[in-house]
Amino acid sequence: MRGHVSRMIAGTLAWMTVIAGLGLAGAVHTPAAAQSGGSGAAPVELRVAWWGSQDRHNRTIKAIELFQKKYPNIKVTYEFAGWGDYWTKMTTQAAGRNLPDVMQQDYAYITEWSSRGLLASLDDYVKAGILDMRDVADAAIKGGVVNGKLVAVNLGSNSQCWVLDLDAFKKAGVELPPPNWTWGDFEKTAMALHQKLGISGMGSGVWNNQIWGALYLSAGQWRYTADGSRIGYESDKPLVDHFNMLLRLQKANALTSRADELASYNQETSVELAPIVSRKAGMAYFWSNQIVAVWKAGGGDERNFVLHPLPRVAGGKSANYLKPSQFFSVTSQAKQPKEAAMFIDFFTNSIEANEVLLAERGVPISSKVQQALKPKLGRSQAEMFAYLDRVTKDVQPIPPPDPPGHTDIVKNVFDPQVIDPVAYGRLEPEKGAALLRQEANAILAKAKR
Amino acid sequence: MNRAPASSLPSEDLLRAGIGEAHVAGRRARARARNLAGYVFIGPWLIGFFGLTLLPMAVSLYLAFTDYDILTAPRWVGLENFHRMFMQDRRYLQSVTVTLFYVAVAVPLRLVFALGLAMLLNTNRRGVSVYRAAYYAPSIVAGSVAVALMWRQVFGTQGVVNAVLAILGVPRVSWLGDPDFAIWTLITLAVWQFGSPMLIFLAGLRQIPVELYEAAAIDGAGAWARFFRITLPLLSPVTFFNLVMQTITGFMVFTQAFIVTGGGPMDTTLFYALYLYRRAFESFQMGYASAMAWVLLLAVALCTAVLFKTSGRWVFYEAKEGR
Repeated sequence: MRGHVSRMIAGTLAWMTVIAGLGLAGAVHTPAAAQSGGSGAAPVELRVAWWGSQDRHNRTIKAIELFQKKYPNIKVTYEFAGWGDYWTKMTTQAAGRNLPDVMQQDYAYITEWSSRGLLASLDDYVKAGILDMRDVADAAIKGGVVNGKLVAVNLGSNSQCWVLDLDAFKKAGVELPPPNWTWGDFEKTAMALHQKLGISGMGSGVWNNQIWGALYLSAGQWRYTADGSRIGYESDKPLVDHFNMLLRLQKANALTSRADELASYNQETSVELAPIVSRKAGMAYFWSNQIVAVWKAGGGDERNFVLHPLPRVAGGKSANYLKPSQFFSVTSQAKQPKEAAMFIDFFTNSIEANEVLLAERGVPISSKVQQALKPKLGRSQAEMFAYLDRVTKDVQPIPPPDPPGHTDIVKNVFDPQVIDPVAYGRLEPEKGAALLRQEANAILAKAKR
Repeated sequence: MNRAPASSLPSEDLLRAGIGEAHVAGRRARARARNLAGYVFIGPWLIGFFGLTLLPMAVSLYLAFTDYDILTAPRWVGLENFHRMFMQDRRYLQSVTVTLFYVAVAVPLRLVFALGLAMLLNTNRRGVSVYRAAYYAPSIVAGSVAVALMWRQVFGTQGVVNAVLAILGVPRVSWLGDPDFAIWTLITLAVWQFGSPMLIFLAGLRQIPVELYEAAAIDGAGAWARFFRITLPLLSPVTFFNLVMQTITGFMVFTQAFIVTGGGPMDTTLFYALYLYRRAFESFQMGYASAMAWVLLLAVALCTAVLFKTSGRWVFYEAKEGR
């Protein structure tokens, strides 16, 4: 019996040891990592996080390996996820004061994150030459400046685009529209493609909330006021006219129906399922960096695509602007801010790294890197570079980042309560636009408080 | 439980003079060791219960009365979340409607299906166990992402269902994109996953004495009469159990809508749990989402209570009646 008891106690002790050991391991780990900041040769651990597709993960991990080869004392640990999970993860880590040293950031979030003191200023590192921005045009830096401080470095430039299937246009005998085409031209083109080929003239994306922004940008306004406190336009008419035009196209089968779009393509990530990929549509709306995935899914070299600027409202300005596709930021909770800046510098200026990354995040911002990459590009990347060159000649300045309530507006009002009912013909476009204004204003007022 | 005999022991021991104190101490130590062993064994569960269940629940109860976006500290707003839920948020009311409809339709359908299959499989023919396993299989992978993805394909615009309908000359239907049909694809999916209630029904059916059926048959009762007079009443405790369990899981349905329809089109498949998740982890409105979670908990508790209250009228317990 005694043996039994002692065995029991021994078991308990063992169990407690395990627990204590776990605790100790955690305790020992952190200070060791914290101590080694600063000095160059001491081993340093750097945490990096990003969102993206599998292709991006693979490329980024390869670039990280190159970075570690260049700086053998820095060990990079990384985490990645899809867009939605990424922000859940980062927000939770921010609350737990456990953010990585380097995090990928988005234009929609940098103002909010910066105003909460979660992003470190990079100006000192630029001054010290650790983060070398000499080959970068000012326009490409500006998107990452919040309240006069550089808090995020652009990883690639992007612009919205219409992807046109050249084969479809040729087969239908429809002429390519001019770069300054209007929504009226768009309607005619879509109808012509449909009448000649029987396919949808326009495939996916045209109900996207970005088009809502593009409409008002082209009309010389923006969807929100500069301070983000309410809707920024006086008249709903451009939006209502736009809805009516899309409904005409949908009724004529010249636009992939909303029902089919949702049924096969309701996840933003599944570019592969877009109708233009399977030759079921002649045109589609995308961000320019997505052409790489579209082209690949569409069959690669047998396909011929061209990128085209967004349509304008009649008599309006360009609806395009250059957008940083995403950023790297150093967080204010970073344990190794200096090494974090070195890491961002490596992504920005290393030709070797960018040959691996191959503009998957958009056109690199360093002119030297751009030049070095050009001969190595595939057709899709080459078209993306050429498109950005073309579109840059007539773009508008980037609109202010969307206010904090924007995600809420898109997810809870714009898509479910306005676009879907209007597209299904269960809500009149006028009522939809009015509802959007009313609900958006309510959310913005609340977010501002 | 161990305490009582341990403390009563000394008096007995004192009566039996000559037996040393060492003996008593030994017993005590043994009792203590037994208790300790118990605590050690339930230790992990206790830690899990307090750390992962009770504490988060308490925190979420607090958050339900706050405005909390994770990045900034929670701000007390009193009953505002609840007011917004019932008075202002049209999508919330939509999610309640959708969920109630789903529970009211999918749960009875699934139970009927499960009972029907269980009766078919309640034979001793050779090979029947293969069928039992085959029909149970969809439930093993029930809530899984894989099944939901497959469902998306099956009911997709180019899916099998439309292909079969095309052969029959029926025009193509956008099952997942049409606001009138989308919820039915999810209900079909739910009915198809009838395996676990089926197994429970099957176990229940095998408990019913064969003599009852033989006696009834001799008395001239037909198949329907035997079903309604013998099977259903004797199976009612099992039915009740299944009904309660399925209702509770019905209220919590999430994965299917999250993957197959994403809550759309036009919010016609916006289940409560999905909307809650969206508010919490996409819009980062943790306070509001916590409030929603507590309302759901209360609603499910109320629903279960009602089921229990009415059960006296239709659930027949053999033991009680036989007394």
